[in-house]
Amino acid sequence: MRGMMMKTLRFSLIAGLMLVMAPAMASASGGGVALKHAEISLDQETIKAGLTVFTDVCMGCHSAKYVTYRNLMDYPEIGLTREEVDDLRGSNSLMEGLKTELAPEDAAESYGVVPPDLSVIARARRGGGDYLYSLLTGYEEDPDGKVEDGNYNHFFPGNRIAMPDPLAWLGHDDDETAELEKQARDVSSFLVFIGDPHQLERKRLGRWVMGFLVLLTFVLWMLKKEVWKDVKKH
Amino acid sequence: MKTGLFKWVDDRTGLEGIIKSQLTEYPVPKNLNYMWNFGSLALLVLVLQILTGIFLVMYYKPDASLTYGGYTVAFDSVERIMRDINFGWLIRYMHAVGASAFFVVVYMHIGRGLYYGSYKGPRELLWIIGVVILLIMQGAAFFGYLLPWGQMSFWGATVITNLFGAVPVLGEYLQQVLRGGFAVGDPTLNRFFSLHYLFPLLLAAIVGGHIHALHVVHSNNPDGVDIDHEKDTIPFHPYYTVKDAFGVGVFLLGYCYFVFFQPEAWGYFIEVDNFVPANNLQTPAHIAPVWYLTPWYTILRTFENKLLGVAMMGASLAILFVLPFLDRSKVRSARYRPVFRQMVILFFISVVVLGYCGHSAPTATLAIVGTIATCVYFGFFLLLPFVHKFEKTKPLPGGE
Repeated sequence: MRGMMMKTLRFSLIAGLMLVMAPAMASASGGGVALKHAEISLDQETIKAGLTVFTDVCMGCHSAKYVTYRNLMDYPEIGLTREEVDDLRGSNSLMEGLKTELAPEDAAESYGVVPPDLSVIARARRGGGDYLYSLLTGYEEDPDGKVEDGNYNHFFPGNRIAMPDPLAWLGHDDDETAELEKQARDVSSFLVFIGDPHQLERKRLGRWVMGFLVLLTFVLWMLKKEVWKDVKKH
Repeated sequence: MKTGLFKWVDDRTGLEGIIKSQLTEYPVPKNLNYMWNFGSLALLVLVLQILTGIFLVMYYKPDASLTYGGYTVAFDSVERIMRDINFGWLIRYMHAVGASAFFVVVYMHIGRGLYYGSYKGPRELLWIIGVVILLIMQGAAFFGYLLPWGQMSFWGATVITNLFGAVPVLGEYLQQVLRGGFAVGDPTLNRFFSLHYLFPLLLAAIVGGHIHALHVVHSNNPDGVDIDHEKDTIPFHPYYTVKDAFGVGVFLLGYCYFVFFQPEAWGYFIEVDNFVPANNLQTPAHIAPVWYLTPWYTILRTFENKLLGVAMMGASLAILFVLPFLDRSKVRSARYRPVFRQMVILFFISVVVLGYCGHSAPTATLAIVGTIATCVYFGFFLLLPFVHKFEKTKPLPGGE
């Protein structure tokens, strides 16, 4: 009876705590607006298309210095040919990272901030690829009319973003919006890929490792049962 | 068994005697449950951490000088390990996930010791050595987290070294010695790197002492009763070697799942902000330590007065040292101590709740929850010396 009472008491205590904590949990994870779902894809076609958006658009201001021109050939997920890489790199060395030609001082003068390096940006923002996609497709007119067009973003914390809408040149009618969403998705996928370029290899290897461990653990369990079968409990 | 080389070594070291007394004839209670697997798992993770750490150090550079793009030499070297070194990503993720895995198994190990009264006589010193191990582990983890030189590395170290400033008289001096300057910077990174290499060596030595102490007083058991060595024990090998090996298999399944499929563990093992290079001009919106330090971080935050907070956080860990002397009951295991059992379960819950509060951004509600949990945490220790006076223990099994 006493045990029952304590159990009920404990249970209500846990339940009470969870009730108190639930709203706190919800607000802690979201941090504001719900992100769009980007449907990030790490197939070669998407990543290559994303690379093109990156070099044509992003690299005007941003770098991804941890990704070298050589990597563009060596990562099988990108798999450019030597000729394609040579076209891209111009006079840059193969071992050089993807770096913008915009000097940090000039960027600071034009935009007020130095554009961050994008090598690990997908891992450095809550929401990862979904956040990047939402950001790139999230430029709007400021409902209060305070922030000038092209610098108001629905998904940026505080809404005022120093980066002017990088895909605005694509236009805003239906076809153009579809193209904008495709490019945003491609480049977000590319950024997710370069954030951890061995992630696909890791997961491939991981499946073999897990398979082996399941077998090993099963064998060890059988062995344990066999060794222990004569041990009496008490 | 005694052939040429073995005999030669045995004559000079007594190796055969060691193997017999520590392994093939070392008596272990036969009624241990799976909660007793976490000790061997902790040893495994310690070895994994040291081995992966040795390889990481071959490429890691503790240097906070700025490089292209607002990064530093240190951050660059970690990314080089992740990208360009053959299987560097695997070694690095094993080490990062290993840090959390270490605390998972050690917290389970400590929880088992609490629940079954393993800290009580004659194992007081065994427990105390264990608490020393816990403190060194927490230090090693804290030093290690600075090394990638991300935002959380930098600001975490800033917040924690700031705490030492609250110490009266010596505070400012202590803080500067820890930082190697007035603020966290390159000298801090260098000395933390040095200590991150020193602490595991200390751990290895003290773990040796922990195991030695265990082999003198022998394992406790789920019933917490003294054991008849003839009747109730079985030799460590093969019975517990094979049981521990099975435990290792189960552990590796979980560990490898995280290493290969979820190395950041949704921000619990590697925080999102730590992919942003350290910037002393930009404080992150929310600074929190990694999950395994958050319970103590909450106790710190519970008190408005900084010195009091630091003192209570220190007390919350230091009190573990005197636990064996606070508990006066003659019965060890919570199985036969109904009141203690409820208390220790509440204590476990309070640690989890404290951990949750410390991980989350502070709110008014969480402050209240954290305060309650802090009271439960300390209440456990304050009540413990008096429990035996009114607790009606259940009859113990076996002929004691």
